[in-house]
Amino acid sequence: MRTIASPLMQFLLSLPRIAAGAPVTRSAPVPRTMTDARPAGRGDAAPDLGELDDAALMARAGAGDRTAFNLLVGRHGTRALRLALRVLGDPAEAEEVAQEAFLRAWQAAAGFDPARARFTTWLHRIVVNLAIDRTRRRAPLPPAGLEAVGELADPAPGPEAAAVATQARAALALALADLPPRQRAAIALAYEQELSGAEAAAALSISERALEGLLRRARLLLRSRLEGS
Amino acid sequence: MTTARMSLDRFTRLLDRHGPALAAWPAAERSAAAALLAASPEARGRLQAAAALDMRLRRDLPQPHPAAVARLQEAVARRIARVPLPARPGPLARLRQALRPAVPAGWGALAAMATCALWLSLSPPRPAPEDPFGPLQTLPLAGESF
Repeated sequence: MRTIASPLMQFLLSLPRIAAGAPVTRSAPVPRTMTDARPAGRGDAAPDLGELDDAALMARAGAGDRTAFNLLVGRHGTRALRLALRVLGDPAEAEEVAQEAFLRAWQAAAGFDPARARFTTWLHRIVVNLAIDRTRRRAPLPPAGLEAVGELADPAPGPEAAAVATQARAALALALADLPPRQRAAIALAYEQELSGAEAAAALSISERALEGLLRRARLLLRSRLEGS
Repeated sequence: MTTARMSLDRFTRLLDRHGPALAAWPAAERSAAAALLAASPEARGRLQAAAALDMRLRRDLPQPHPAAVARLQEAVARRIARVPLPARPGPLARLRQALRPAVPAGWGALAAMATCALWLSLSPPRPAPEDPFGPLQTLPLAGESF
C-alpha cells in the first residue's frame, strides 16, 4: 500500500503545478550517464553537445534546440536511411521516408519520454512504420532493374567482378521485392549490426518470437527465390 | 546426459528462425543440433545453404550512398528551420504522464477485482433454484400401467 500511496501523494502535491502548465517532472530521475545529469537548456557553461547522449539531445531538441536535433540526425541518419532503403528498395523513396521520420521525431520531441523507449528504438519504429505504410500504399512497382541496383553498387576491382556483383545484388533485390513488407522489414532490422533482437522486435512492435517467425518465413522465401542464381 | 534427437525438419525450421550461427540458437537446442550435424550430411548441406544466404544478405543488402546521407542531413536541417518548435504536450497528455508513476503494475486488475466485489456484494441474492427433477416426480410413470 505504501508503494501506491507514495507516488499518489507526490502526484497530489504536484497537481497545482500541472494545472499551472508547468512541465511534469519525474520523481528523482536517475541519470543514465554523467552527461544526462546536465540540465537541458540554458544555465552554466554550455556543454559540448557531441558529448551528450541521445536522451539528453532529445531533451534539448524538445526545448527547441535545432543544433542538438541536427546532431541526432548526424548520428542516426545513416541507419534510418538504410532501414528505409531496405524496406522500400527505392533510394529516392527511402530518402523521403527518412526525412519524414526525422521531421516527425522533431515535432514529437517535446513529448519524448526516455523512460519508455530509447531514442533509437523510437526512431526505428517511426522509420519502419512509414516505410511499410508507403510500400502498402503504392501501386505495385516493376521489380528493381539492374539500373537501380547499379546505383547502389560499390566500385569493384574489375569490370567482370563488378558485373558479377551487380548481378548478385539485382537477384537479391528481386527476391526481396517479392517478400511481404513486414518480412522485408524483419530482414532489414535483423541485419543491422549492433541492433539486438529485442530492439529489432521493438521497432516492429512485436515480440522477439514473432520476429523470429517473420525471419523464418522470409529466409525460406528468399532461399527458394535465389536458388540457382 | 542424453541429448534429445532432432529431426531434419525441426533443424531446418530452427535454421531459418535463428540463422546459421549455432551460437545464436537457444542453448537447449544446440547440442541436439550439433549431434544431427555430425550424423547427417543433409543437415550439413542445409546449414551450408543457410550460411550462403546469410553471407549474401550481409554482403548484398543495399547500402545508402554517402551523398544521400548528406542530402538527408541538409534536408532535415533546412526543414526543421522552417517548421515551428516542437509542440509541448497538452494538459491531458501532461496529466496522463503525471499519473503514470502513481499507477503501479496490476492496478487495472485490482480495479477490476474491486468492481466485481462491489457488484457481487450489492446485487440481491438470487432465489434458490428449483429442483430440476421436481416435474419428473409428478409425471405418471409408464411402468405403473404394466
